[in-house]
Amino acid sequence: MISLLQALVDGVLNGGVYGVIAVGLSLVFGVLGIVNFSQAQFLMIGMYVAWFIWHATGIDPIIGAFAALVVGGAIGALLYSCLIRHVADASVLAQIFVTVGLIAVLENLALIFLGADYRSVKTSYQTEAINVASVLVSKPYLIAFTAAIIVSVLLSLLLNRSWLGRAIRATAQNEAASTAFGIDGLRTKSLAFGLGTGLTAFGGGVILPYASVNPTVGSQYIVLMFTVAVLGGLGSTMGALVGGIIVGIIQSVSTLFLPVQMKDLALFVVFIAILAIRPQGLLAGVSR
Amino acid sequence: MFSRFFSAALTVVALSLSHTGAFAQETVKIGVVVPLSGPNAQFGANIRNGLEVATKEINERGGISSLKGAKVELVFADATDPAKAGVAVQRLVSRDRVVGVVGSFISNITLAASEVTERLGVPMITHSFADQITERGYRNIFQVSPKASVIGAATFDQAAALGNLAGEKISKIALLWEDTSYGTAQSKGIRDAAKRAGVEVVVDEGYPPGITDVTPLINKVRASSAQLIFPVSYVNDAMLIIRALRQQQISTPIVGGAGGYIIPDFGKALGDVADGVLSITPANYDANKEMADKYRATYGIWPSHETLLYTAGFQDLVQAIDTAKSTDPQKIRDAIASARYCVGFARALPNNCVAFDQNGLTSTGQPIMVQWQKGELVTVWPRTAGAQLIWRGSVVKE
Repeated sequence: MISLLQALVDGVLNGGVYGVIAVGLSLVFGVLGIVNFSQAQFLMIGMYVAWFIWHATGIDPIIGAFAALVVGGAIGALLYSCLIRHVADASVLAQIFVTVGLIAVLENLALIFLGADYRSVKTSYQTEAINVASVLVSKPYLIAFTAAIIVSVLLSLLLNRSWLGRAIRATAQNEAASTAFGIDGLRTKSLAFGLGTGLTAFGGGVILPYASVNPTVGSQYIVLMFTVAVLGGLGSTMGALVGGIIVGIIQSVSTLFLPVQMKDLALFVVFIAILAIRPQGLLAGVSR
Repeated sequence: MFSRFFSAALTVVALSLSHTGAFAQETVKIGVVVPLSGPNAQFGANIRNGLEVATKEINERGGISSLKGAKVELVFADATDPAKAGVAVQRLVSRDRVVGVVGSFISNITLAASEVTERLGVPMITHSFADQITERGYRNIFQVSPKASVIGAATFDQAAALGNLAGEKISKIALLWEDTSYGTAQSKGIRDAAKRAGVEVVVDEGYPPGITDVTPLINKVRASSAQLIFPVSYVNDAMLIIRALRQQQISTPIVGGAGGYIIPDFGKALGDVADGVLSITPANYDANKEMADKYRATYGIWPSHETLLYTAGFQDLVQAIDTAKSTDPQKIRDAIASARYCVGFARALPNNCVAFDQNGLTSTGQPIMVQWQKGELVTVWPRTAGAQLIWRGSVVKE
């Protein structure tokens, strides 16, 4: 029983973080209709930003994650306004080519300028856990989860209550009409893309206390990100969070009766089963 | 007309002379196929450092004397996965015309690269452990480390001996292993040795080396009554495991299976969390303090086991070229197979020499046990005077 509780706790904590990492992907698809295959590279960018801030000033990566959000967002917005917008209305194939190409460019730029070393941080709570009735709650996981929830709430407030959020949703619904209302389509779309990449970069900063960064770290998370986003319903930000937690729980609980190597297999079996019954994902959101 | 005939004859003579092979060449190229990017780049970088030091030394001493002072040139190729390694070796041999290859650290990658060197008849020297490497009946692969199963058995036997020294009789162990050929082979060695000693393996979990969350594994260890933990890992997974063990306040002695547990980065990243961690290794720098200090002066850090082993292997290859007086890969291969080389970095290896048996496996190599103590790796088995053993936080009195 304890081991089931332990697995559930670990699953929920991990899952919340998966949710924040994947929400950017969902957002970008929901608003812009583009599947950004290079999303995981922004995780890498976020991790590096938080690492360098920690390395230079000793500031905890969780705080540094907010800076990572801004930097990741800025890079994303820039990439959108210079590069991706040219394929925004083109064929899906063109979009795939551009975003997949970006994977190689971003990874190799990181490799050239930052080297291939695995970098990790040392924080005071990294090797600590809280004992709650013999369930060990890992401190870095808990802190990451809390930060993820806070940012999810902030995101929801942004999308529903702020002017930018409304502009993003209006542009997604009907670009011609929103332009007629004075919303600058290109600026809004760049900001939306940047918001998406920034959120994933934030996720990177938040996992840094327990993960290590190197130029190819994106490849370790990309499949998980897509699974979470699609499971929750591509386009639904709430779905990403819910999807994340479900994915975390499935992976964690499966290790109780299956070998650890089958963690992903268990996940994909459940994932395919869910999609077979509900192809649009669990919480189909703003759709295209 | 006579002059045209004369110059044609001269050209023919010149061309035929350049094909004699024993003609003096200006450089001899040696291929280095190691991971220079990706998760194992640290190992490749360490190997590169050692090889560059050795090459500089050889060339400064006048190059390969039997080939009229031919200089040695290293040609690097990044091998991050088996497919890339095969292609890289092909290119190194056919385009760059290397006469020997050194690589590839990761057992899986070495297996792929050595298939190509065998086909092309070029000698390859490796440190990779997997048993399979020297069990394919190949003539052109040479392994300077003991086999994974031997290393695995020694990991258990030496750890049990250390436990005895500390007054703890081992009857239950936990085994965690990355599931590619290195981890699988070595964990089998540990498992079999434990069985022979009548010790129960209460946790036996394989995991993919790219694992991002090790808590399920550590939860299992915590719930068991293992007295020793044997993780066989590369870099990232090693750090995740040690951190998670510390987080769950598990003070059971940890005996790493080489790989990620014996590189400088492990100590740098974990700081004092690394103290006390034991690991098996094929070679350690404290066997030759003078060489280690010289290396440290250049690179600011002690030479890791892959630096020692690959540089010793490389120096063996160069020595073989000199002995063979030829750049014919097969003659070089024969020289490697019959030589016993005891200078250079070989002096830092167990038994101070490099030699191979008829399968290409080392006949001088021997696993030893080291322990992290304040950022340094100290050899704790075989016992030598002055080497302290720390067990569960305190120094063992012998």
